[in-house]
Parts: sequence; C-alpha cells; structure tokens
Amino acid sequence: MEELPSITVSQREQFLVENDVFGMYSYFDTSDISTQKFMVEIQRDKQLDYLMNGLRQLSPSFSSLDANRPWVCYWIIHSIALLGESLDDELENNTIDFLGRCQGSDGGYGGGPGQLPHLATSYAAVNTLVTLGGDKAFSSINREQMACFLRRMKDTNGGFRMHNMGEIDVRACYTAISIASILNILDDELTRGLGDYILSCQTYEGGIGGEPGSEAHGGYTYCGLATMILISEVDRLNLDSLTNWVVYRQGVEMGFQGRTNKLVDGCYTFWQAAPCVLLQRFFSAQDLVPHGSSHMSQGTDEDHEGHAHDDDPEDSDEDDSDNDSDEDSGNGHQVHTSTYYINRKIQPVFNSLGLQRYVLLCSKDANGGFRDKLRKPRDFYHTCYCLSGLSVAQHAWSKDEDTPPLTRDILGGYANHLEPVHLLHNVVMDRYNEAIEFFHRAA
Amino acid sequence: MHGRPRKVYKPEEEAASAAKAVKFRSLQSQFLSNHHNKIYTKEAIDLSTKLLEINPEAYTAWNYRKLAVEDTLSRQESDPDLVKSVLDEELKVVESSLKQNVKSYGAWHHRKWVLSKGHSSVGNELRLLNEFQTLDSRNFHAWNYRRFVVELTNRSKHDELKYTEFMIGNNISNYSAWHNRSVLLSSLLERKADGFMPSQKIPEEYELVHNAIFTDEDVQSGWFYHLWLLDQTVNVETPLLISSWPPHGSRINLSRAGCLNDSSSSSKLTTFPLILYFDQAVGGVSSSTVAIDSELKGIEDLVWEPVSNKNSQVSCVWVARLKYMSSEPCFFPKEYKVKVRIGNSPGIVSSRGFNFSVPYEFVFTARVEDTVQEEPREVIVSWTDGFDIWDAQSEDLKNLVNLDQLNGQMDFKWRQEAIAEEIDLFRTLPDSNSKIGKLTIARLLMAKATMSENDVKGVHYEEILKLYNDLMALDSTHYHYYKDEHSVALLRKVTSSTESLSRHLFRYSDMNNSVCLRLNNSSLSRIASVEKLLFVQMLDLSHNELHSTEGLEAMQLLSCLNLSHNRIRSFSALDSLRHLKQLRVLDVSHNHIGEHSVDTTRYLCSSPLSNSEWSQDEVGRRMTPSLVTKYWDAYFVLRDLNLKQLDIAGNVVAGEEFSSFVPQVVPTLVWLNGHKLRS
Repeated sequence: MEELPSITVSQREQFLVENDVFGMYSYFDTSDISTQKFMVEIQRDKQLDYLMNGLRQLSPSFSSLDANRPWVCYWIIHSIALLGESLDDELENNTIDFLGRCQGSDGGYGGGPGQLPHLATSYAAVNTLVTLGGDKAFSSINREQMACFLRRMKDTNGGFRMHNMGEIDVRACYTAISIASILNILDDELTRGLGDYILSCQTYEGGIGGEPGSEAHGGYTYCGLATMILISEVDRLNLDSLTNWVVYRQGVEMGFQGRTNKLVDGCYTFWQAAPCVLLQRFFSAQDLVPHGSSHMSQGTDEDHEGHAHDDDPEDSDEDDSDNDSDEDSGNGHQVHTSTYYINRKIQPVFNSLGLQRYVLLCSKDANGGFRDKLRKPRDFYHTCYCLSGLSVAQHAWSKDEDTPPLTRDILGGYANHLEPVHLLHNVVMDRYNEAIEFFHRAA
Repeated sequence: MHGRPRKVYKPEEEAASAAKAVKFRSLQSQFLSNHHNKIYTKEAIDLSTKLLEINPEAYTAWNYRKLAVEDTLSRQESDPDLVKSVLDEELKVVESSLKQNVKSYGAWHHRKWVLSKGHSSVGNELRLLNEFQTLDSRNFHAWNYRRFVVELTNRSKHDELKYTEFMIGNNISNYSAWHNRSVLLSSLLERKADGFMPSQKIPEEYELVHNAIFTDEDVQSGWFYHLWLLDQTVNVETPLLISSWPPHGSRINLSRAGCLNDSSSSSKLTTFPLILYFDQAVGGVSSSTVAIDSELKGIEDLVWEPVSNKNSQVSCVWVARLKYMSSEPCFFPKEYKVKVRIGNSPGIVSSRGFNFSVPYEFVFTARVEDTVQEEPREVIVSWTDGFDIWDAQSEDLKNLVNLDQLNGQMDFKWRQEAIAEEIDLFRTLPDSNSKIGKLTIARLLMAKATMSENDVKGVHYEEILKLYNDLMALDSTHYHYYKDEHSVALLRKVTSSTESLSRHLFRYSDMNNSVCLRLNNSSLSRIASVEKLLFVQMLDLSHNELHSTEGLEAMQLLSCLNLSHNRIRSFSALDSLRHLKQLRVLDVSHNHIGEHSVDTTRYLCSSPLSNSEWSQDEVGRRMTPSLVTKYWDAYFVLRDLNLKQLDIAGNVVAGEEFSSFVPQVVPTLVWLNGHKLRS
C-alpha cells in the first residue's frame, strides 16, 4: 500500500482556509441573482455606522492601541473618505485638536498626547489631516519642526529610525519620505544613502524585507517600492524579480498573502495590489497588451457579466477613434482573440475581479467593517486596508487615477465604487491634490 | 500593529473592559508625568512595567526604561551584581510583554538594546526564541531577532543551519526557515568555510530542495529556494571583466573621419573612448587601477568615468576618453601598440564588496592617420538604403568582434555539472505544462548557455525561446516578464557567434562605411548583450517593443540610433542616451511620447523645477520658461545631446510648439523631422 503523503502545518492551515473560502464561493455561485447582488454589495450604511461609531467613542477595547491613536484616526477617516463621505464639523474639529495635542513641541506626532514623536504615528497624523483637508487641518502641521524631526530620525546608514533610540527599518523610511513628500520638505539630506539602504533590503526572491537579511514581506515591499519611487531611484531595484514575487502572492483564494506560503489576509489587498499597479504603470502605461487572457475570463458572477455586456456610457466616452477593434467586438472580456489589442486600458498584472470577490465575500463583516479572513473579527486596520485595496483593484485597469473605471471593472457595479487613492501615500486622490497645492504654496 | 490577535468583546465583558480602560488611562497619565519629569525611582519604573504588561506597544515607555536604566547604571556601574539585576529585570519585562503581544516592535527592539550591553547568554535567548518560534514558526520578528543573537554571540552558523533543517523538516513550506538557510549559507559559502566549498555544498542543497519541490509542486517555498541556488551556481562573487573596447588583438584607426567627429569642433583634438565592461557594478576604476603602456600621446592622466544613470560611483561600464593630437600632419600612418592592464593594483571593488582579483590585460593597435578631410556635408541619414552586407569571414569583422568571454579562469566545471543535472531532472517533471517547471528549465538552459563553449549555444537558445513563447501563452499574468526574458535570450542568440551576428551587420556607405547593426522587427522589449556590441556605430532598433533605452549607454561609439515605431512613452525613457557623446542622429518617430498628460513620470519626479539641478541651469533660464516647464522631461534629456538630426514625428508631443522648442534646446540641430532647419 502506498504511504500517505504527510501534510505540513502550513498545508493543513492552508487547507482549512481554502475550505472556508471555497465553501463561501460555492454558496455564492449557487445562490440566486438577488442574493448574489446583496452578498457583493459594500453596504455603505453599515460601513459608515461602524466607522462613525468607532470615531465617536474609541471603544474600551482599544486600550492596547493607546500608543497608536493617530493610526485609529487615519484608518477610520481614510475609510470614510474612500466611501466618498466626510465628517461633520464637530468631529472634524475634535480630530484636528486631538492630533494637535499629539504633535510634539520639537516636531512629529506621538501615539497620543505627551507621547514620544514617532514616524509611523506622524505618517498617520499627516495622512489624517490631509484627508480631512482645509486650511485649518493643513496649517495645524508644523512643517519646519517636522523637517527637523525627520532629520533627527535619519541614521548614518541612510535609513530612518522610528523614534529616538528606536528601530531602523523600511517602514520608518517610507513613513518619513511619504510625510516629507506630501509636506514638500523632501531634500537631499533626507534622501542621502536611502536608496542604498532600501536596496540592501530587497531579497533574491524579489520582494523587500523589513531590514537587511529579512525575508520579503508584503507591507515592507509596498513601503520600499513607494519610497524608491518617491526619491526617484526606483530603477535601481530589480523590478523584474519584484513583479514576479508580488504577483505570485495572489493565491487560489484570489486574496493576497503577505509572504511565501503564508495564509491569505484581507489587508494585503492593499499592500500587494498597490505595488502591482505601481509596477504595471511604471512598465507598461502605454502598452498594447494582447487581450483575452485566461484569468480575465474567469467570470465572477452572472450579475457582473451582465454589466460587461452593457453599452455603458463611460465606455463609449473613452473610446478613441482608433479603437475600432474594441468597439466592434464590443462585449466584454471574453470575445477578444489574441489578434485584438486594447490600448485604451491596461490589463492588471493580478486578477482584480477575483481579488474584489475575496474582499467582498470573505473579508467583509455582515455588520460593517472588514477582517483578515472568514472567522476572524473585524477591526479598523483591516477595514482601512481592505477598502483601500478594493479601490486600487477597481481602478487597476485605468491608466491613471483621473480616469474613472468601467462598470465591468467594479465587482457589484458602480454602487460599490470607491474613491481612487494616490498609490504612494494611500490618501484619496482629491484630498491629495488639495494638500499638495497648499503645501507647495506654503514653501 | 497588524496581525495581533484581537479579542471580540461580548456585551457582558464590556463593563469590565471599560473599568480596565479607566485604570489604564490613569496609569498612562501617571507614567507620562514621570517620563516628562525624569523620575526614575523604583516606584516609577514599576509603574512603567505595569503599563507595558498591559500595552507592549507603548514605545514611549520602552524609551523611558532605556533612560531609566542608563540613569541607574551611571550611578552604580561599579557594582556588577546591581548591573546584572537591573538588566535581568529588563529582560523579564520584555519577555512578559512578548507573551502579551509577540509582534511588538518596541519589545523586540528593547531586548536587542539590552543584549547589545553585553548581557544575557545565547542559551537563554535561544530558549526564549524556541518558545516563540514553536508557537509561530513564521514570526519575522523572532527570525530577525534570531539572526541578531547569532551575529552578536558568534553562535556557530553550522548549528543554525541544523536548526533550519529541523524547522524545514517540521514544515516543508516554512519559507522563513528556507530564507534563513539562504542567509546562513551565503555567509558560509562566501567565507568558503570548512565543508562549505560552493562546488561541494551547492549540489547537496539541490538534493535537499528537490524533496520539497517534488513533494508538492504547489509549495512555492522550494521553488524560490531553488531560484536562489541557481543564482549561487551562476553568479561568481569576484567581479570579472567581460568585454572591452577596443577588443584584445584588434587594430583600430584613429582618424578624424573614422570617429564621425563633430564637424563644428575647430580644434584638432580628437577623443576616442576606451570602454571596460564588467559583469557586475564596480567602483574604483581609475588611472591607478588601470595601467596603460603605449607611446601614443595623450594617454597620460586618463579620467575614468562610470557610465550610469545615477549619480553613483559604481557601474558595470567605465569609459575613459583618450585624447590624441592629430595636429602634426603625417602622411604616413603611424602605428602604436597600446597595452591596458587592469587589476594589478587593488582598488576595483564590486558594489557587494568583492575585489577584482584576477589581473587581466589586453593589447590593441592604434593606427593614427591624418585622412584627407572632405568638408563635412550636412547630409541626412536615411535608414532605408546605403547598407552593404558584411561577410562573416571578413577580416575587418573578425577584427572588431570579439565574442569570447574574458573569464577563462573560472571554476566552471562543477557549475556546469550541477546545471546539467538539474536540466535532466526537471525535464522529467510529470506535468509538462507546469509554468514554474518551464520557467525553471528556461532559466537553467540560459545558465548552461552562459557557461558553455560557443559551438553548442545555438541549440539551447531555440529551446529557451520556445519555452518563453509557451509561457507567454500559458500565463498572461507574467506576460511582460516572459517577454523581456525572451528578448534577452534572442539577443544572446544573435550575439552568440560571428555568423549569427553578421546576418544583422552592415556597412553604411554614406558615412565612411560605419558599422551598422540592424535588429529591427525583432519584437524586442528589452536590450541585452550590449557588452558584445560595443563596436557598433549605427543601430537600427526600429519596429520593436522597447520602452526605454536602458543598456545602450555602454555603446560609446554610437552615432546614429533608430528607435522609430517602439513604445517609448516619455523623454525620460531616453535618459541613458545622455551618456552617448558621439550620438548625432536620433529617430524616435512613431512612439508614444506625450500621449498621456499624466503618466508615471509624475511619480518619478513630481516637481522637476524644484530639482536642485535646475537652479544652477543657466541655459534653461534663458529659454521661454513656459515651454521649459511644459516640456521639462524633454529638456533634461535633449540639452545633453549634440544632435544634428532628430525625428520625433508620429508622437503626440510633436506639435508645432514643441518643434519650435527643440532647436532652442539643441542648437546643433540641422535636420528636424526630415526638414532642414538652417542652411
């Protein structure tokens, strides 16, 4: 008799997750159309209730996040902005005041009032204020002192420290450079040697680890890549192997994993999809890509395919006269043969619709909020990065953030449409534009 | 922050939790007051302990403790027992915090800080680590900390290697363990530690990883480790010189006409590039590390420059411009032997810190001749005719083209054997449509081709090209990656022998029989094998799928370049051309420049005019500012080129306004889009 192959812990865990996920998918596939419609709906009202409640009364269970309060503000307020909503004046003023009290007298923001300034919480505070928008929020940031704080955190090895006497890693580098870039205080002193440091964290797998010698990891890969783009040294990375690594992180469940042979997790929807889109824009913004690939035709649901056949207005608005082939074939993803090319849009290097399906069916909590995977509790961190990633996936076909996606690119249709984000800072595009204008005038 | 287990609160727990939160907040505010008032009493320190037990992420408290420890030690350093008890207490607090949250950055960092004070023991730390790594074998904080401890205590790497075997044995898909194995082995192989000669150890590692790959093809850990092994097999640490211009044994003519010199230069000083091409980026190439023996005038004080797009002092390609005087009329050609010796004195070091340790020398003959100079005609270079085929057997050709790699001394035998074995093995993979299997075979064959003798090369390349074609059809997600690899293989095939290369080589009769390489219509998406093409003066890459000119910067003799009908989408993509000092003719017509107002360039340089380079740019300031602002990416590239002929028609950017802007930036321009600008 043949010996049964032994199964590893990872394989068993993977098996259990696949069981849950595919169970959910098959339930979805066998449901009627109205149930399906309901299942993929974002349910804005429930999301907003969950988020607004969270902001009003940072619930008692948040004691452990007490060193991360600007983060909680960012996760919630950015999520609200992604849904196209904003805060009322009172909440907005409270938030600006609260963050003002987190700001240290010699620059940077701590995890709460009186706490030591920290790069990550400074990033969260700045992104929150950028998302709130308006002169009051913008001018509450002490740019000059922030510049001093960033310089103090700069290490001689080119990288940045999280805080005074704190750890040096790629996260610290990204948060520092993202802040400096958005506040328009980026200079040679901050970028000196930084490219070398990030480069030393790219592993032979292609992804980027947290510090030299560490294994490649989704969050750090996003941080490292975004940093290199912001300091104009992205071509020093091995982009081929980076692309190769990141697209292999999307597994059979269609969600992303953070590292090789790890379980899928909703938050990597952003950390891994954003690098995919950045790389794809970098490589092939104007490419003619042969269409009709295998993964595109894995139609997700009847409802969605229905949309694909619609002659929706965005579609015709956008077509240039030289796009006759696309017009002629005119019905969605499946009919193109390899002789047809699209040049209006880019094909994502990952399965965008599959990813959206994972987030909406497995990461979405029925009562609002998002989570890592089925059976896990929701939290604001996952809500923020699931929604951000969903927005990235919806806009993955667009050649830039200013082009609205087609209905067929959004699972669940336009009812689920989220605001586009600036991929390098993860703030909503409009808010970014307003802030950049303000801080360029301030310089 | 992320990944820590969070508790779901049931309603009945809410009240208790709210009470806890009140207590926590009062603790927090007392702590902050102690911190700001620099109170380091025992009570105050205990209070921070309590806080950290509840919230290990309170990084301010970790900092406070560091200050408190330093404060105590500064007063009590003489008493070793007290020092020990203070530091022991810190380790204890870290340990209990980690039990609360094993992913606390602050806690792990604090432990490193205590250890770097020379405290604790390997045994103690490994015990702690084993506990955490058993609970979560993929916790990267723990793995990072493990590497830190091993480094700090000089724990035997052999023992660590055994630990990775143990962890892999437990779980073949634990990539963290595989990764750590690669980190450990890298260092052991580098030092050639006892029992870790690459020739012996790497084949053993192949055996190990086969178990993982053939157990379950879907386990990616094994494949990634295999990829690392292949890198170790192919890549040689010591930098090697892989080609040079002029090549060894060649005879070159130094004459004004021969180098397509700028007619506008009034002086008789002519320059000629010497090029060194290394297999990896190196620094330290200078007149002290490269010695030149010759009677030729002008070779003293050669300045070697890295040819690289970044402001870095390392590059694969180094160039020195040899200036020689041709003022004295000499009707009889004179010949000089030039001997170039590299690496006799140390100083050439790879970016990874390895020395160029195998001295190498090459000799060429320079024939200086004052040719009768016709008045240079301002003719337009056409890419349609005037090309004469070049016979592969021609002596001229053999003289220029030296396709042998210069790295004869390497120990290739075990490498070739290891790769041959892998190829045989992977060809027996049961699933012939396995993408990763095909990719691995393609990579192995490429490695084999790199290390083979010339005669068998062609065979491999056909198979590699077919594999990449299959992959493009099978796996559209990675289409671009395969496409690029396909291009690399194709160019390697073309440059693999004089015969295959000569099919693409021509002499352009309208310009002193310039050497022209035509690779048009080859569906290339990327440029490669440039080290074998340093002699090319005219290059036709039209009707390909190129996005950028990266790689061409090494071709210092290039004077005419045709990139029409490609996929160049911005002038920034032409940046590498700025290094080509002899480039006079450039055709980038029918590309995608300017098609989209918003493109990736805005990510690369959001505000070009805040660029520090800009403030020092006098030329730019004299021009119409609105145009410079609008066409800044064109400006930054074109201002460094001395073009006579430029073709940009068929790009969205090429409107009337742009056409009026170009001659301002490139004053040397005579022909724009086929029209003469001035007489």
